[in-house]
Amino acid sequence: MVAVMQGGGEPTQAEFHEAITNRADRWFAACLKITRNRAMAEDAVQEALLSAWAKRSQFQHDARLDTWIHRIAVNAALQLLRKNRPASFEPLDFEIPDDADSQEDVHHAGELERDLGKALTHLSDIERICFVLKHIEQWRLREIAEELEINVGAVKQALFRGVGKLRKRMTTLQGV
Amino acid sequence: MNDDKLTLYFYKDGLTQAERLGITNALAADTELAARYKLLSNSLSRLSDAEPDAVTPDMMQRFHNTIDRAANRERGATSTTSPPVHFWSFFWGAAITAALALGIGIGVWFGADFEPGPDDGIGRDLFVDVTPQNNVVPVVFQRSITNYFRESQRDITDLPMDAEADRLILILRLIDHNRLFEKAAMQNNSPELARVLRAFEPILVKLAADDIAPEEAEVLRAQLAFELNVMLTKLTRDTSDGRQTYSERT
Repeated sequence: MVAVMQGGGEPTQAEFHEAITNRADRWFAACLKITRNRAMAEDAVQEALLSAWAKRSQFQHDARLDTWIHRIAVNAALQLLRKNRPASFEPLDFEIPDDADSQEDVHHAGELERDLGKALTHLSDIERICFVLKHIEQWRLREIAEELEINVGAVKQALFRGVGKLRKRMTTLQGV
Repeated sequence: MNDDKLTLYFYKDGLTQAERLGITNALAADTELAARYKLLSNSLSRLSDAEPDAVTPDMMQRFHNTIDRAANRERGATSTTSPPVHFWSFFWGAAITAALALGIGIGVWFGADFEPGPDDGIGRDLFVDVTPQNNVVPVVFQRSITNYFRESQRDITDLPMDAEADRLILILRLIDHNRLFEKAAMQNNSPELARVLRAFEPILVKLAADDIAPEEAEVLRAQLAFELNVMLTKLTRDTSDGRQTYSERT
């Protein structure tokens, strides 16, 4: 069951608790994929909750509370990452090669599909962020560009590189 | 056609309508291209999100507590009515600020081992030597707390006094971070620093009140900004004047 607003009015404290119980793991997972740091991911969720609570009067009643908080959490994670590692948001005009043949990779071959998070560790920050926002969070390319303050072309390049590395990894490790 | 175009086609994003139509036609006409696209779309579909990382019970509890605290603060703020002579009225606020400023100035600049009196009230917590105890404080924490003070100082300076909701969000965030750093200070063998952080909270709570008078807010804001500056000066001086950094002592 997910927290869906049942009627008019702003979301109640109980509805926030329900959303937390049902979806906090997904908010945290999304933030973790972006930040790759558990403490920062937790901070992002905390900030999202505070922000959502303070702005709950602005919540659109035809939306889902948990989805709304999810989006705020992802934004908070991006902001925290920008604050802590500003270089993460700089588009690269060169490709960082993937090290797809290491022993560790062979060892973890079977885990790739079960743990996308591990596979993402092989991408650069900008590649990972663009891939997560596009592939998992399903943002539009333009939204990603605006949020990251880079142009759409740079987002596409980062996405292509990320997808390319992940596919190569899958091909190398699983014979896809 | 390269895989980049096919990737955008898969995501249904980043292509013009004409480009999309062109790819659709090409896929229908070219079996080799269609096979390549199928391979790509299969690969991307398999890169689906796995089960989310489990949130630990204590983390989950902290999330719930965050909402409860915010709700409680809000209830407290809305139910509070200003007494005829408010403790933090402009006069008393200014007087206490001046006293604190003088005390902190003496404490910091003369480096005296100032021992606060037992009943000095809120100001007592601020008269501390922030030098870490027992010389075992990681440099990472020192850097973090310095950054935190610096960012808080900036936030306090830019506090949007005319936008109540924004101000509340910012202050709630500061309070939350303050508590985290207070806890971290305790865990990093710096109880005096934890006391300073703890002393900031009541001032922040006062600042968050929706019925605060502009003059009172200004006094509190100036007080916080000053105290943060003192802390920053102290922390920076400890590092830059050749004293051992926390990590060097470890």
